[in-house]
Parts: sequence; C-alpha cells; structure tokens
Amino acid sequence: MENFTNETIDTSQLPRFEEVPMTPLHRSYWKVVLITWAIVFVIGFTAFGLAVAFIEEFKDNAVRVAVPAIVGVAVILLMSYVSFRKKAFAFRNHDVLYRHGIIATTTIVIPYNRVQHVALHEGFISRIFKLATIQIFTAGGSSSDIEIPGIEKEQAENIKQLLMGKIQKEL
Amino acid sequence: MESNFNVPQRQSAVGIVIMFFDTIQQYARALWPILVVWIFKFNDINKWALFGGTLLVLFGIGIIAYLKYRNFTFFLDDQNDEFVITEGILNKTKTTIALYKIQQVNIKQSLLQRFIGVHALEVDTAGSKEQEVSIKAISHRLALDLKAKLLDNETKMPANAVAENTVSQTASDEKPFIDISLLSLLKVGITSNYIRSLGLLLAFFFTIYDNVMRFSNQGYINEDQFNGYVNKALIMQSIGILVVVLFGAIIVINVVRTMVRYFGYTITRQKGSLLLSFGLFNTKSTIIKPEKVQIVSFTRNYFQKKMDILELKIKQATAGEKEERKQAVEIPGCNAVERDAILKLLFGKIPQKGVMLQPNFRKLVFAIFLAIVLPLCGFYAVALNAGEDFLQFNWIVPVYVIFALLVLCFGFRNYRLFITGDFIIKQSGAWDIKNEIIEPQKIQALAVSQLFWHKNADIGYLTIHTAGGKMSFELGNYTVIKQYVNLWLYGMETSDSNWM
Repeated sequence: MENFTNETIDTSQLPRFEEVPMTPLHRSYWKVVLITWAIVFVIGFTAFGLAVAFIEEFKDNAVRVAVPAIVGVAVILLMSYVSFRKKAFAFRNHDVLYRHGIIATTTIVIPYNRVQHVALHEGFISRIFKLATIQIFTAGGSSSDIEIPGIEKEQAENIKQLLMGKIQKEL
Repeated sequence: MESNFNVPQRQSAVGIVIMFFDTIQQYARALWPILVVWIFKFNDINKWALFGGTLLVLFGIGIIAYLKYRNFTFFLDDQNDEFVITEGILNKTKTTIALYKIQQVNIKQSLLQRFIGVHALEVDTAGSKEQEVSIKAISHRLALDLKAKLLDNETKMPANAVAENTVSQTASDEKPFIDISLLSLLKVGITSNYIRSLGLLLAFFFTIYDNVMRFSNQGYINEDQFNGYVNKALIMQSIGILVVVLFGAIIVINVVRTMVRYFGYTITRQKGSLLLSFGLFNTKSTIIKPEKVQIVSFTRNYFQKKMDILELKIKQATAGEKEERKQAVEIPGCNAVERDAILKLLFGKIPQKGVMLQPNFRKLVFAIFLAIVLPLCGFYAVALNAGEDFLQFNWIVPVYVIFALLVLCFGFRNYRLFITGDFIIKQSGAWDIKNEIIEPQKIQALAVSQLFWHKNADIGYLTIHTAGGKMSFELGNYTVIKQYVNLWLYGMETSDSNWM
C-alpha cells in the first residue's frame, strides 16, 4: 500500500487509437474478391442463359430481368470495392485495431490480454495469391471476434506468432 | 462428518426412480407417433397383448434405469483438481472438468425429486454447452458438501486467474441477508411485465379464435347468425369490458407467474459469493461469484419507484450468445437498500453516476421517423388503395401518434451514459427505466462506429463487448467517446486485472 499512488491521468496525453496509421489489405485481395464474385456471376448468368434458351415464357421477359441484374452486378462490384478499400488493420504494442464498413465505418479494438485464441484461415482462392485470413477470438462472443482477410501468408504467420507470444506473456 | 468425494461414488439409490421416469420421458418423446397410433387403435388391439407389452416395456426401462444408475459415478480428483464423471451403459463417457473452470453449481429440485427427497446438482462451465454435467439424484447434505468442494477452488486457480477485486471475505453466515417477502413479489407482479403477459394472452386468444373459426367453417355455427348478434353499440361496450378483463387477466397472470417462479427468494452470503434460492415447485439455487459477474442491471418504472421495489439482473460470463438470456440471474422485488447491499458485495462499492453523455437530437428524429412517419405512410398507402373501408380506422392515427411520441420522448430523455473511473452505467427505457452497470476491466473489446453523414455532426456509436453480452450507446459525441475508449484501453492494457 505504501508505494501506491493514484495520479490523475491526463486523458489528452493518452495514445489515441483513432490516429494510428492503418495498413490496408493486400492489393491482391481485391483479385480474390473479384474472382469469388465472378464465380457467383458465372453460375447466375449460366442459369439465366439456360432459362432464356429453354423456357418459352422467359424469353419475352428476358430484358426486364437482365437490366436489373446487370445494374445489380455493377452495384455489388462497386460496394465490394469500397468495402475492400475501407478495410484496414493495425497491430499496436498492446492491442489490435480493425476498421471496416461501407456506410457505417466501425473500428474495433481488442487488447491482447483479452484474446482467447488466434486462428489462421486460408481460402481456396486466397491460397493462389498466397493470402490468408487471421481470426481473433475473445470471450465476448461472435460479435466481438474479428477476421482480417487479405494478409500475406508469411506476414499472417508472423502476426499469429506475435499474438500467441503476447497471449502467452499475458498468462 | 465430512463427506468423502475422492473415491468414485454413485447417486442416491432412490435415484433409480428418477432415472426410470427420465428414461420413460426420453423414450416417450422419441416414440410418441407410435404411441398416438396405439391410442387411436386402442379398441382394435388385443388388450392382453397390450397389457403384457406395456409391462414388458416398463420392466425393460426399469432394467435400463438400474444399469444407468450402476454405471453413473462421480468423484473429485484431488491430484489434478478435476471433477470426474463416468456414465453410459454401452457407450461409456468420461467427463472431466477442471475445478477452476467451474462457473456455477446449481442445486435444483423438480416436483418428482421433491417427492422422493433428492436433489439435482448441475455444474456449469465457461466452455461449450456439451461439457455441462448434471447429477440427477443426490441427497441435500451431499449436494451442499459437493457444491462447497467444487466451488472451493479459489486457491487452486492458476496464479493469473486470481481475481483482483478485493471482495470483503465475510465468513459464511447461513442466515439469509436478503429475504424477498410475498408482499414484494405481489408488488412486482402488479407492476411489471405487462407487455410479455399481453403477448401471452393474445397468443392464447388467437389460438382460441382460430379454433372457433375453423369450427364454424365446418358448419357447426352459422356465421351470419353469429355476426348478426353483434350490433354496433354492443361492440363498443364489449370492447370496454374486454379491456378491463384483459387488464385484470394480465395482472393475475403476472402475479401468479411471479409468485410461483420466485416464491421464497432468499439471498445468502457465502465466502464472498451470493447464494440465491427460489421457486415454489422447482426450487432452484444458484451461486454468483463476484469476479464472474459481467453486467448488472436494475430496472424499475414509475409505480415501482413509488413502492420502492426494483428488479435486479446479473449477467455472468457465458460461452455462447444463445445462452445469454438463460444465464441472466434475476432478483425481483428488492428495495434500494438491498440493491445497494448486493451491488456493494458484487463490486466492492456502490456505483456512482459520473460524467453524463447524452445522445444527439438526431436519435429522437430518427426514432420518430422509424416509429411514426414510416408506419403512417404505410397506413395511408394501404388505406388509399383499399378505399373507404380502411379510413374508418382513422381515429387510431392520433392515438397512436401521441402514444408513440410520448414513448419516444421519454425514451430519449432517459437515454444516458454515465462514466466514472470504476463504472460505466447506461440508463435507458421509456417506462421501465433500466440501468446497466459495467466495470471497465470487464471489457473484452471496444468498437466505435460512425455513419458517413454523421462525420460533420461529430456523433457516433459506441459498443462495449463483455463476456456477458454487449452494451451500445448510440449517437453520442464522437470525440468524447473516442477519448473514453482510449482511456479504457489504457486502463485494460496497463493492468493485469482479470475479467473472470
């Protein structure tokens, strides 16, 4: 108790999470997103093409379906690009920051001493570009877990090691 | 005499009866279609065969119950500090629980168990749901002993897991320090949960109405005749009566529900933990350890304020979100003094409201848009298309608008976030005013978010995640919110304070 002091903290002098320079996702990750969507679109348009070819009643309405579909594709691509650009992360000494969101931009901060475990996830397409996703879990349930996609495999391994080290040390 | 749990032991022998009924229930649930068929064909089946068959089945179940009882053992492994349970007749399962992971030990008693005079003991862990363990038949003394043993693991925790908060270590005194009287429960029943009971009642009435209509469509009741009975004046009168009856029914349901559920609610202090026990038919007892508490909230409305009662809810660390509701422990009908005593035991001091954060007026505007403007637009869109018939309900509009406006305005006025060094308190609600209390060291993650059109107004959202659920504050001053986030992060990262 003798050595215990309790000075007032100057809140303006605290490190600010909002001023941390954030690292954007790897450039190749955009290609991953594009390819994923391309697969979906190819399946969708094949179904559409087959419908036009084989269903009589569908032929007359084809244009009416096609125009919104194309607009939809454009909107989806635009949205996923904005979403890709918005996503960014930063690893500080004591916590990890992840920013995401198109309309509402959310920044979530998890201190390392609250991390329960870390997982590395490699998608099928991501693997082609040597990218990986880092998943960080807390005890706060799924709403407070984060998934950072589009990190180079090697870097992701390093980050995972770093996090594991931090967790170990906290224990 | 100290009970010895170090050697594997079985449940109480009368537990076979519990096992028997449990097994019957299990099979009945699995085989009910066949049972239904049997019941309908009751007359066609040979009575003797049926009788013999039933006897045989019951005998079989009896044997299974006995084997289940024989094969179920539990013991405390002192070397590894584990609680070990083995069960299963053909497929053996061995469940091992590290003692320091045990969150809660509940002692329950169902009606059947009450007749036989045994108790059930359930062990809750922080892990997944499958790990939960229950002993179905155990004598009360043994249950209490085992519970004490299971929870007496503070010293055996790994060094990091020792809670930092200094809870006053009062010796276990068996005398309950809070005893919620029948009168308090009556007050709670009268003043709360109107909406939930209304929902129950409506569901009930709609089911009946639906059945009556189906009945009438089959030609048992002549619909024209039925409709002709009711004239306009009678409708108004019966609506009035209906409202009164409905209100009365709601209160009666509430009172009965509260009484049955919380009958004989006592809170005992036990080595710095709280021991709750309550229930008329199913006596339930739960232990709450202060260091595992994540969110404490208390709710009261205007009437309850006048009567000096409130409802306290305690959320503890959970494994999944699905269990969140189940895990919240409710203490109904305590007064302000008792609340402060409980809070003091849980937190070490009584939370004070400090710096106040208010939401931006846009929160009210947006709420009005969502709850009033949109539904009205919908109503008139339908009314204009459907024609005159619909417009006769026009009188509902001003009633609804005034009601909704009142609710929203009060809700907005009560929506506040209070911050002190030790506590974050969120106040919300229009009628039932709720105060949620979180300690900053229990935070798991912090999220701030802002809609792009709110950038200039400098307002945004704050979400605080804990292991017992999350708490959000909407449209507060963004600069201030970020400042507090930095402060809380600083606090969490510079100390080894434990959240569990």
